Amino acid sequence: MASSNFLYTHRRIKNIVALTLSMCATLVGLLFLAWILWETLRQGIGALHPQLFTKITAYGEDGGLANAMVGSLIVNLIGILIATPIGVLAGTWLAEYANGTRLGESIRFLNDILLSAPSIVLGLFVYTIIVLPTTALTSGSTTFSGWAGGLALALIALPVIVRTSDEMLRLVPSTLREAALSLGIPQWKLTLQILVRAARSGIITGVLLALARISGETAPLLFTSFGNNYMTFNPSDKMSSLPQVIYQYANDPGDAMHAIAWAGAFVLTMFVLLLSLASRLVLSRNKVSHD
Amino acid sequence: MTESAAAGIHPQSAATSAPIAPTKLKVRDLHFYYDGFHALKGINMDIPEKKVTAIIGPSGCGKSTLLRIFNRIYAIYPKLEAKGEIVLDDENILDASYSMNRLRSKVGMVFQKPVPFPMTIFENVAYGIRHHEKLSRADMDIRVEQALRSAALWDEVKDKLKQSALGLSGGQQQRLCIARGIALKPEVLLLDEPTSALDPIATGRIEQLVEELKSQYTIVIVTHNMQQAARCSDLTAFMYLGELIEFDRTEQIFTKPSKKQTEDYITGRFG
Repeated sequence: MASSNFLYTHRRIKNIVALTLSMCATLVGLLFLAWILWETLRQGIGALHPQLFTKITAYGEDGGLANAMVGSLIVNLIGILIATPIGVLAGTWLAEYANGTRLGESIRFLNDILLSAPSIVLGLFVYTIIVLPTTALTSGSTTFSGWAGGLALALIALPVIVRTSDEMLRLVPSTLREAALSLGIPQWKLTLQILVRAARSGIITGVLLALARISGETAPLLFTSFGNNYMTFNPSDKMSSLPQVIYQYANDPGDAMHAIAWAGAFVLTMFVLLLSLASRLVLSRNKVSHD
Repeated sequence: MTESAAAGIHPQSAATSAPIAPTKLKVRDLHFYYDGFHALKGINMDIPEKKVTAIIGPSGCGKSTLLRIFNRIYAIYPKLEAKGEIVLDDENILDASYSMNRLRSKVGMVFQKPVPFPMTIFENVAYGIRHHEKLSRADMDIRVEQALRSAALWDEVKDKLKQSALGLSGGQQQRLCIARGIALKPEVLLLDEPTSALDPIATGRIEQLVEELKSQYTIVIVTHNMQQAARCSDLTAFMYLGELIEFDRTEQIFTKPSKKQTEDYITGRFG
């Protein structure tokens, strides 16, 4: 009895220590998140007024970020629209058709490399294969463009979407596959109508997370969409974007410009935060239990 | 043939000479390999029509493996190989030219864990039918209702057909899976430990259902539960280490088994 009491006390102490440590770790993470939000809000609050959303960057410190926000939305949208169908299809192929094959494993590995590729490299890559040739072909009338920026972002979003689609589909229990196949349902119908449906919330989450990831990217846009001080809705033009303007304003000596950059950073951070929350919501609301 | 066959291979051969029913599935010299591992070693058995045949045996004896060959569901995994013959209505279903689509519309299967599709209750049943037949809406409604009635589920779900099947209880989900299987009007129904994930009341319902369904379907049920085999089967096959040890009328197996191994197993000496 005495020895087992000792054993239980010992375990209880270990449990308390481990719990305390993990709670501290959580607090450190949360502290920095709150701090970043607080700091961007504090520094940017002066510039957080309606003209931030209505005026363009051409007015400098008397202006806003309207063109950058529109540009960001368009370039991100292009990126996600290119990456989503390719990514979901590739992930489906990996999980359903190539799982366990050597080709599938190699492609999964290559995808992981792309996932960790420095984003500036992807920007330079698009600069070389899109921006330079279009400049040459149009004799310089089209150089940097929203399309090129969108493509660079697509290359960043793609491996994220491939990876999550692949993983979410592989999480669908194989019994569901067997059940459908034993009704004589062919593989393609099974994949499209049952498995993708079962993994749907996970796949949507992956797309939202990829969107959150690319909306903060600066480096790949410097060589592709470049930036534009005026409002444009045409992706064939140079396009402004929030991260690129933040970068530019942060390097400006003027305090008013810094405030606008901070306000832009706050808007961007809130956007990413809301996207993450939305993805959590999608995942929890459609949670499919298979156990 | 009946006289010369080794006791316990064909159910009609052992105690009585009269066949129990016409043979539905004729298994001849069936071998099965998992990536080289010899899992089934020359199985021969005649599964009679519109009877319940139970397959029992300790874990790893090959009973589920055998069941999963009857609709060739094993074929979706690489490196698995079946050799020999399984004759269903005069055709060898192991023949590469035998259409998988046709086989699976003739031989339905229900699994250990209930696996409803992520759709409504109605769609779960209609989905399979729609793949094999073009029906009008009215006809489809009738078919779905029939299937749910045969699976003794209709009264519980008739007011919530448009709700997700994932909201049903485990026992209801399993009966939905049975409804989904019989909606295709198969000739053979394979049940792979269909009650092992269910509580005793739900298990009782499924066993009662098996009893009702055998007038229309040839049923093969794999079970870990010997009482279940004794309760709801007409014939019982005992398997051990990939071999069919004895196959006979259920009462014969449980009262006067002819093999020592069978007796040891059913009296609980191993397994």
